[in-house]
Amino acid sequence: MFSKQKENRILLVYVLPALIVYLLFKLYPAILGFYYSLTDWNGIDQSYEMIGWANFKEIFEDVYFWESIQFTFKYVVVILVVSNVLALLLAVLIESRLKARGLFRTLFYMPNMISMIIGGYMWVFIFTRVIYYLADNWGLAFLDQSWIGDPRYSFVAIIIVSSWGTVGYLMLIYMAALQGVPLQLKEAAVLDGANSWNVFRNVTFPMIQHAFTICIFWSLSSAFQVFDVIYALTGGGPGRATQSVALNIYEEAFKGNIRYGYATAKSTILFVIVFLLTLAQLKMMKRKEQEL
Amino acid sequence: MKKLISSILVIVMVMVGCSNKESSSSFDPEEIELNIMMSFPQYMDQWETYIDQFEKKMLDEENLNVKVNLEMPSSDQYESVLQARLSGNDAPDLFTLHSNNISTYNKAGHLTDLTNEPFTEKLFENVKKTITHDGKIFVVPIESQAWGVLYNKKIFNELNLTAPETLNELEKITETLKENGYTPFLLAYQEQWVPQLMTALTLGGKVSGEVPDWVERMYAGEGSYEEMRDIFGPIDLIMKNGTDRAMELGSELGAADFANGKAAMFVQGTWASGTIMQTNPDMELGVFPLPINNNKANTLVNLSTSTTLAVHPDSKVKDVALKFANYVLDDKDSSTLFESTRFNPIAAIHDYETDPWVTDAYQYVEEGRSYQDLVLPQAVTEEQGKLLQEYYIGSITKDEFIKRMDEVFAESVK
Repeated sequence: MFSKQKENRILLVYVLPALIVYLLFKLYPAILGFYYSLTDWNGIDQSYEMIGWANFKEIFEDVYFWESIQFTFKYVVVILVVSNVLALLLAVLIESRLKARGLFRTLFYMPNMISMIIGGYMWVFIFTRVIYYLADNWGLAFLDQSWIGDPRYSFVAIIIVSSWGTVGYLMLIYMAALQGVPLQLKEAAVLDGANSWNVFRNVTFPMIQHAFTICIFWSLSSAFQVFDVIYALTGGGPGRATQSVALNIYEEAFKGNIRYGYATAKSTILFVIVFLLTLAQLKMMKRKEQEL
Repeated sequence: MKKLISSILVIVMVMVGCSNKESSSSFDPEEIELNIMMSFPQYMDQWETYIDQFEKKMLDEENLNVKVNLEMPSSDQYESVLQARLSGNDAPDLFTLHSNNISTYNKAGHLTDLTNEPFTEKLFENVKKTITHDGKIFVVPIESQAWGVLYNKKIFNELNLTAPETLNELEKITETLKENGYTPFLLAYQEQWVPQLMTALTLGGKVSGEVPDWVERMYAGEGSYEEMRDIFGPIDLIMKNGTDRAMELGSELGAADFANGKAAMFVQGTWASGTIMQTNPDMELGVFPLPINNNKANTLVNLSTSTTLAVHPDSKVKDVALKFANYVLDDKDSSTLFESTRFNPIAAIHDYETDPWVTDAYQYVEEGRSYQDLVLPQAVTEEQGKLLQEYYIGSITKDEFIKRMDEVFAESVK
């Protein structure tokens, strides 16, 4: 076999391309972004000035930014619960009961294959045309709402479409974890007189704890950056009722008064929030995993 | 490890060798590359044809082997792509921009002064006015519109209605339409720029008719939207007598619904005519100016230039770029281009027959009943659209609208 030193060198060669890509396309722009957040650059001018923390100070008075933060938090909490519960439920169902599990796995995973922008536009059609048809012709009066035009319902619409798009991916992770639970353990529990709920609660659930860590980490960090679904579905509207932080940043940078410096300051704040939250979540859940 | 390094070296050397060979072996006459970026992919075919003609003309007349690279990002993404290119020192030689942004881009040093180019002589005076900044011309206008409220002439004729001159007349028309079972206005407010058209028209009419120094004073921080409270006269009338589910209808679907006779009037520009005529080729489309109140002097059509073409000052092939800029208004070829894209004529050299709705609108222009589109900060325009959406669904009041707009205006001219 290889010597330790040689092994390290081989590892380095494998990691190097990814490391270069990461440094060049992730870390460098991120640092650059932070640098620009201290300037008044408008994105097209050749010149700009360092203005220190002025952008960050201004953000504190930016009502719309904090409203978008509030909206995003609400979205994160709801989507985290809804998509993970649904994904786990589907995973358990498909794993245990269904014969055509391949078919269902494909069906639920399918939304991941298309871009959420396209998915979003598909749903715009469903919400604005198909649902009214059903409401009018099948007498389903409760469907007769302005799904994407009324701020009360557009949040629901966004949750529906987002979970439609993410559940399949999470479900696959949960299914993989479920398959890793040794059958003997379950059988032993059954022999000891446990019913299926008890088996799930006390055997399966702890065994798939690591899947929760991954799934919640992934949905937490991606939910904070939600953009495409909302962009396609409501454009952040009506007015600004469904504007997420990412959308707010996008509008700051590219629409209206093009202000790159200010927009990068906002994204720096978003980065810090996501970073701290995911870090806390990972720490907390990792500890739980180790207790097993 | 040594093997790895040596193989990388070999690859690098081969690549270097290849590229050297390529440049040294080209004996053809030098090819001039011209990069053009435009914001309307819907006219891709027309512009590609036009560019082919340009390449041929250059080869025939000037013995230049020009190769044009045409990029057309989607209208949604265009601004961000352009900004990225400009800030990355990778500016296209020619690019389109909205005429409202001329001063921003000029200040940032991205526009070439075209005042003395031959094409400027050809422009209609009123079009020329819309793109002149500080007495200079920095862009070639491409799209110019005279617009107001679109209406269905068939329905109007059937009920013996004529285009209104005052708000009272518009109210009467609305009543008559309702009595006869027609929905007066088509509302498609899903995209914020569509409701925003109502502020463009009402502010434009009111300012040009009654308060000509309002915009100036707003920029100086001495005006208020309070003076413009009248604009809610027509806005309320339209919102109260429109089709329902407005917040779910995009502009395209709205235009299709309008073409299918779902409502008699539609606050949209003549640029929607493409979709409308495609949906219903028999549509009799008319245009009238939106009345603001009962002062006829405010009832004017909006005359504006939207898309324009600029030459970047750092272009390495500037003389060819300037040739293309002038070619856009070529005496011989440009009529066909403008006709095929259904753009309005902007110069005396354009001698094709215009569509009836264009003739309609230009009648007002000829009578002197038009105004130049107000140049408001981009953020103000966007905010108006958003607030109108909120006003429509009832989450803000008139007073909040006025207060918020004053704030945004002050912020954007800070």
